[in-house]
Amino acid sequence: MATAVVQFAPLPSLAHPSFWHRLTQLKLDVLKLSDAHVDINATYRVGRLIHDRESGPGAFIGVGGSLAVEEDSFDQAHPVLAIGSVAAKGIVKNYNTIEEFRTADKSKLFNEAADKIWTSIQTTRSTAFLNSFLLITFADLKKYRYYYWFAFPAFTSTPAWHIDVDPGWIGTGTSESSLDDAQMNSIFTQMKSSGILLPYFLVRVLNGISIGRLEDYDPQTDTIENTAIGFVDPSAQPQNPGWPLRNLLAYLRTLHPKATYKLRILCWRDADLPRGNEGWKSRLGTIFIDPQGDPVGSPSRPTAVGWEKNVQGKLAPRMADLAPMMDPVRLANQAV
Amino acid sequence: RVRDYLSPVLKESKFKENGTINPEEFVAAGDFLTYKFPVWSWEKGDPSKSREFLPADKQYLVTRGVPCLRRATSLAYTDADEDAERLLSFGDSSGGSDGDEWVETHAGRKPNLDSAANPGEIADIPDDSAHDDDLATGVEGISLGTVPPTSEIPDIDDIPDMEEEDLEEGDEATAVMKPTPNVVDASQVEVATGNLLQVRTYDVMITYDKYYQTPRIWLLGYDENRTPLTPSQIFQDVSADHAFKTVTIEPFPNSASLQAASVHPCKHASVMKKVIERMNNSVVAEQLAQQKAPKEKKKWPFARRTSGGKDDKTAAGEDEEVEGMRVDFYLVVFLKFIASIVPTIEVDSTTSF
Repeated sequence: MATAVVQFAPLPSLAHPSFWHRLTQLKLDVLKLSDAHVDINATYRVGRLIHDRESGPGAFIGVGGSLAVEEDSFDQAHPVLAIGSVAAKGIVKNYNTIEEFRTADKSKLFNEAADKIWTSIQTTRSTAFLNSFLLITFADLKKYRYYYWFAFPAFTSTPAWHIDVDPGWIGTGTSESSLDDAQMNSIFTQMKSSGILLPYFLVRVLNGISIGRLEDYDPQTDTIENTAIGFVDPSAQPQNPGWPLRNLLAYLRTLHPKATYKLRILCWRDADLPRGNEGWKSRLGTIFIDPQGDPVGSPSRPTAVGWEKNVQGKLAPRMADLAPMMDPVRLANQAV
Repeated sequence: RVRDYLSPVLKESKFKENGTINPEEFVAAGDFLTYKFPVWSWEKGDPSKSREFLPADKQYLVTRGVPCLRRATSLAYTDADEDAERLLSFGDSSGGSDGDEWVETHAGRKPNLDSAANPGEIADIPDDSAHDDDLATGVEGISLGTVPPTSEIPDIDDIPDMEEEDLEEGDEATAVMKPTPNVVDASQVEVATGNLLQVRTYDVMITYDKYYQTPRIWLLGYDENRTPLTPSQIFQDVSADHAFKTVTIEPFPNSASLQAASVHPCKHASVMKKVIERMNNSVVAEQLAQQKAPKEKKKWPFARRTSGGKDDKTAAGEDEEVEGMRVDFYLVVFLKFIASIVPTIEVDSTTSF
């Protein structure tokens, strides 16, 4: 049977203008010339399929969820989570000059961030840091320009995860799917009633559906037949699960190497109940790795990837130019 | 700003007479909106900018990441379209509705530039200078002010030598996000995956404008690469009748420094009054029909009888009277009106309602 390497959709970043305002304030009032890193919070949400009214019924456009930072990101309190959103922790490191930004040892910073995730898997066995991220910035305050570069460290898997091309990732709530409409409804209701959406969770099918914390995964009882591994999926691509799945898989492979050669994955993409006959948006797939090629018991950290590419698809920083929205001179010209 | 401070806070309910609402009604309508459509939520904003006539934690409403699939400026307006107004069903999802409809203008209108199946062209946003020229010719007699000379136009390639190819190796498990043909997935839902990265999104905020006594809408946009939109780019998403006239860039009231595009509320009350009058008539007719046939009671969204709120005293004394459209529904109607000004920004999440 034909198989394909599972390819993960990168997590795009989104910096709200209010994030730059707050960073500017922080730089002027608190950080001054310090370039010590600062803890920040971010959120990302499920990928969405947007009905395209101009193209008639049945036409949908996928809009991936992005990891967003905004004004509240600097507050210690948990950000208010919009529907279908989860929180991610990260650090921001702001440089004083463009030269320092340019010459910063990015590999070192990236490895430190990846090490932190790896250590949290090994020591606390918690999923709380799996989706953590790194942001480096330089703020050109005179020109209202903000140079920035996000990194979302994700561990690579050797050998790679594969999926059967047929059926691939399939829709949920249908008769072909192993989770039918009633079961999806039950998952949705339980997730909603728990208040906070968990970035990662277990779906156990034993005398009905129950949702569990991923930390409670038990290789003895959680078999591929009765347990699916769920995660809040920011991807909207039908055949690409989102980036956060990568570290979740690394987590499971590390802590339960013998039991996780084959997993059933639920890509959770339903912020709302389906309307009309749109159907559920979440995707389900069975992925596997070759037990032969797997170096069992290797305790060293796998390599990680995850620098965000810029608009041109290159490994380079992005720039937010807020002059049109902040520069008093240009705003005065706008106001006719 | 000054007159905003000086104008007294509206106390009585006047939404049927004038199309205006008071802060209490704004909160009620906002509560209803967030309850029915959880994509909307209340925000407290910058505490130093808090308006005292609104609860501290209910200063304004926000919804994030609202998709904008194509440019309003790319929509063809013809005389034929003007006649193509179509009545939209405007009832409750459980009941279905007849008798109450909403006029959607330009219903059958086809975009003249791009479509979901033709994603390449959406990305083709002209650069600032070219675009400003377009607008300058397109919107006669309205000056953009000084258009910045080309040299000042920001170039995203400003730091070209910062590409670091060796930063990480190629990874076979990283999906390359490039345009692909439409995909029909298992459930026969057509997904134009090519547009994945080519959709603009907006954060939409609704504040209460004390001077005009109406809600006021604010827009912050991002392009398909999630870079903040410039004012001229935002105006591409405003219908030609309103760009530069009723939509302007102004300081957002609940932030110390944020600037956002806003629809000026001077006409809101009169438009809302007309819409509410029409809707109220049909709601009243519906409610009268209900009274005659109580067994076929429909769940009617405008007439929810909740406890609390000032409508209780009318409900108690004159239970036999029909109460017509309730003010809770004001913002839902308001969003439909706003949708006509920014036709391609999907602010109105209530269409399938």
